[in-house]
Amino acid sequence: MQFRLEKRPEPSKLMLYVTPVASVLLTMLVGAIIFSLIGYDGVGAVREIFLTPLTNSFKWQDLGVKAAPLIIIGVGLSIAYRANVWNIGAEGQYVMGGLAATGVALATYGMTGWWILPLMMIAGIAGGAAYAAVPALLKTRLGVNEILTSLMLTYASVQLIYYLVRAPWKDPMGMGFPQTRRFAADALLPNIIPGTIVHLGVPIAIVVALIAWFVMSRSVFGYQMKVVGAAPHAARYGGFSENKTIWLALLVSGALAGLAGMLEVAGPFQRMVPGFPTNYGFTAIIVAFLGRLNPLGVILAGIVMAITFVGGEVAQTTIGLSSSATGVFQSMMLFFLLAGDILVRYRLKRVIPAQEARA
Amino acid sequence: MPLRLQLTGITKRFPGVLANDNVTFAVKPGEIHALLGENGAGKSTLVKMIYGIMQPDAGEIAWNGQPVVVSSPKAARKLGIGMVFQHFSLFEALTVLENIALGMDAKIPARDLEARIRQVMAQYGLLLDPHRTVATLSVGERQRIEIVRALLLEPKLLIMDEPTSVLTPQEVEQLFDVLRRLAAQGCSILYISHKLHEIKALCDTATILRGGRLVDTCDPKQETSRSMAEKMIGAGLKDIVRPEGRSMGEPKLVVSRLSTAKTGHFDVPVNKVSFTVRAGEIFGIAGVAGNGQNALLDALSGEIRSDDAESITIDGFPLGLLDTTERRKRGLCAVPEERNGHAAVGEFSLSDNSVLTARDRLGMVVMGLINSGAARTYTGKVIAEFAVKALGPASMAGSLSGGNLQKYIMGREILQKPSVLVVSQPTWGVDAGAAAAIHQALVDLAAVGSAIVVISQDLDELRALCDTLAVINLGQLSPAKPNAEMSIEEIGLLMGGVHGATEAHDAVPA
Amino acid sequence: MNLDLLIAIFITVVGASTPILIAATGELVVEKSGVLNLGVEGMMLVGAITAFLVVFLTGQHYLAIVLAAGAGIATSMIFGFLTLSLSANQTATGLALTIFGTGFSALAGQGYSARPVTLLGPLFPADLATHPVLRIVFGYSALVYFALIMVVAVWWFLKKTRAGLILRAVGENDLSAHSIGYSVIGVRYAAVAFGGAMAGIAGACFPLLLTPQWAERMTAGRGWIAVALVVFASWRPFRLLAGAYLFGLVMTMELYAKAGGGPLSAIPSELWAALPYLATVVVLVLISIRRDASTNAPACLGRPFLPSN
Repeated sequence: MQFRLEKRPEPSKLMLYVTPVASVLLTMLVGAIIFSLIGYDGVGAVREIFLTPLTNSFKWQDLGVKAAPLIIIGVGLSIAYRANVWNIGAEGQYVMGGLAATGVALATYGMTGWWILPLMMIAGIAGGAAYAAVPALLKTRLGVNEILTSLMLTYASVQLIYYLVRAPWKDPMGMGFPQTRRFAADALLPNIIPGTIVHLGVPIAIVVALIAWFVMSRSVFGYQMKVVGAAPHAARYGGFSENKTIWLALLVSGALAGLAGMLEVAGPFQRMVPGFPTNYGFTAIIVAFLGRLNPLGVILAGIVMAITFVGGEVAQTTIGLSSSATGVFQSMMLFFLLAGDILVRYRLKRVIPAQEARA
Repeated sequence: MPLRLQLTGITKRFPGVLANDNVTFAVKPGEIHALLGENGAGKSTLVKMIYGIMQPDAGEIAWNGQPVVVSSPKAARKLGIGMVFQHFSLFEALTVLENIALGMDAKIPARDLEARIRQVMAQYGLLLDPHRTVATLSVGERQRIEIVRALLLEPKLLIMDEPTSVLTPQEVEQLFDVLRRLAAQGCSILYISHKLHEIKALCDTATILRGGRLVDTCDPKQETSRSMAEKMIGAGLKDIVRPEGRSMGEPKLVVSRLSTAKTGHFDVPVNKVSFTVRAGEIFGIAGVAGNGQNALLDALSGEIRSDDAESITIDGFPLGLLDTTERRKRGLCAVPEERNGHAAVGEFSLSDNSVLTARDRLGMVVMGLINSGAARTYTGKVIAEFAVKALGPASMAGSLSGGNLQKYIMGREILQKPSVLVVSQPTWGVDAGAAAAIHQALVDLAAVGSAIVVISQDLDELRALCDTLAVINLGQLSPAKPNAEMSIEEIGLLMGGVHGATEAHDAVPA
Repeated sequence: MNLDLLIAIFITVVGASTPILIAATGELVVEKSGVLNLGVEGMMLVGAITAFLVVFLTGQHYLAIVLAAGAGIATSMIFGFLTLSLSANQTATGLALTIFGTGFSALAGQGYSARPVTLLGPLFPADLATHPVLRIVFGYSALVYFALIMVVAVWWFLKKTRAGLILRAVGENDLSAHSIGYSVIGVRYAAVAFGGAMAGIAGACFPLLLTPQWAERMTAGRGWIAVALVVFASWRPFRLLAGAYLFGLVMTMELYAKAGGGPLSAIPSELWAALPYLATVVVLVLISIRRDASTNAPACLGRPFLPSN
């Protein structure tokens, strides 16, 4: 029996939503098999990475804290990717947002007031947006590929952290550690649930995603992003400027990555350290795709990805699996998703050999 | 002598369509055989099976009396079947020589190949420099590459797929000379077209397809154009109904010395184009593809903005500096040639496609938010009034057939009641029924006082539709003349670039 | 500065530029066929860990190179299958491949960090390279000569052979190539595999040529620089040389600055470390100002091949 792909007259809505779920399940199944084959406890790895974080209620707060930055960055990327603007430097924009917020926190050190956190937030957003403005400028003015520029700037931003925490921003009381001092109380995110580590960033992430969903599905802005991404020529005919869209896409995604950076540095980190870049910006790329570039889907995908992060840590302590296994699982999920995409546009059909048909 | 090619009971099915249904006909040696039919009648599918690009689901192909399976284009060429495609399979960045080498199955050293190319070119009067890059050649020259490539294989059957749609009348004559010479040497020619006068002038036999079925095989010289057209379309032809007592009003659209910058590598910009269209007038712009039609449409629609406000005016109001959205608000709507990807977004629903151009004129946007209900209602109206075959406003634009999508697009613009409508290739690739409906809609829009510009490569269409004609060549527009006063020879010369009057026209103060 | 130092710098530059040159040469062929594989960095990491493990376990350098090439091909086939057979989005798949390569190599190299291996020695006997000037010619390992030979070979292949002409045609107009009867998918699979092999070998350069150990993410974005280099070179093989040596020079300056030598160390070492990436941006800007730069790009680059039947 042979199968052949046949183009669907219209993309399948069902497959659009089934394939992300299927790719998570397939990743668990195939992951278990592959990890067993190469000599790990495959079933254990899948159980620890995908299930333990869910069944273990005191891991839930970890999930929320890890999912928040992924959702915020993922929402921004999903908007940019809709417009066919390939910002893959969200990690760098996240770093710059964190650094800008750190700058405010250090400059206001010793002061008190409710205004410090909002100011840090504005700085973080501005920092991320400003860093994303560089690829936007180069793309719109000179046609330079934004993938390469945004990524190169990410590598450069990491060096900037190293420099700042080694020299000008170094904690004078830090016993020589390359890190800034711990932020003052008014520059730290409040916990919203006492006795947990769940900070203000978690509800902010949900609100950001909901606003983005509304804007993308109902507004002219959302329409503009989608039409420029789907058919730039038609967008121009419809009166939408491609350059303006590129600017908006990069600024919005950069601003959200910067916001995530601010929330992380003022939340879990409480100071700037060399280990601040934690790959959220790259993982959020997978989150955006797994969420089907839909902000509501991004919430779910962000939680799934947070599960693998938390589970990766669990697996590290319980069965000694390297944390890098998480990356393998995450990319596998993306591979399955991309492979499944073809089922959105095509359907499998059994081929009946010509002789049979004639007989 | 056995028949060169014999098709028996050829059937090909696609999802939801029976492209060819039990087609049987034969081509004799040295015969010029027309394959005639509407777009979508199944001509292309049929020749793709003869040339080995597709395989029939049922039926038999016999070559020189022997049953054969043409498994690939390579196998077809081995048999002696050559094909010149409607859309050239050329590589812009490569040279003529490299392009021809790619089409050869045998490995021939470049120097020998060049010698043979020069010989074939000289023999048939198809002159070209083998070392030129294809991107620098005109459409007619590109076709010559395809023909030379096919002739190098010394074919016994040459398939020509709509070869004249991109040529000037003079180039068409040259092509016919080459084809007649080939036929005289015994090469059979399968000539695919829907242009009846060409078939009458060139072909010995005509096979007519309709809806995938063979309707008739006849001698075109014994038929009238009208009788063949009726066989092709299946019903009596509907003529365009022109309202009685129509008169042209005041100048509505005035274009004066409109120019665009050269943007892309291969684009032809427009240069100091001037013309006037009155209320109620249909103004036709003829020309061979690639002579600045796209730039002209973009410059009129506002996709390319002018730096001179006065270069385009509607009722005296200058529009040159405005963008597409502003121009639409002022009543200027446009329909570009490329349907999917330019005039419409294939991945969007029809309703979302209505938002693309009608959102401002019809109030579909309130405070930055899209009123999707209004878009749906309007789309439903377009579907109903223009008889668009679609499941409803939620259908994806890309799922519609070319003709239906074009009807939707035309309807979307016309129901906005534009005071000026600019359309490019309004019926290209559209079946006869849809084409007639579109033509009628344009005539009706003119009747209520709109000014209409039709840019087309189809002279028959322009002759039937327009009050006034002008010809675009290399980005320059000839002076306009009433359609009735222009001879086909005159249009042909203008299309080929013989611009007797350009200088004088330019000197007229705008 | 004395001659010995200059020669030492020159040799370091050539070494530092070699992996970029090899990876970029492979990616150039891939892009000429109309495919944009952004997974170079990931394939390089897979090549690097493969080469490291082989040398660590067997001590066989050339076996390490061959297996690194094989690992690169295997990794590239994930990309090939998704983008060519399933026509998945090339940009997204390339990114996924890089994420995969990063995770996979880290997993495979778990526990091997900072374990030393031996570098691949010079190809020619030391007698040939006694004189400093002769060292410039004969003083390198086989990988350096391989990189140079491949640049010439790829140029010759693309320009002079029929297979090269077909590959260019497929990248220029896939539908036409298909209608003439060439296997677009087949040609592209071959190109992607070649790119994978080259990226694998480029990855092998890190443990075999530059730092004799394994470190997570040890390619440090060089794969991305290689992708940028192809744009910089306007898809012309010989221009890759100039670009690769430019980057080699920048990276060598970083090494000297870190070593604390002379005036270079006045600038923070982090700036030196960031310089290759910033230089990439600058180079991309400069090349885009030249107007003909993008016109040489293969017309089908990054577009999925979707024949109508």
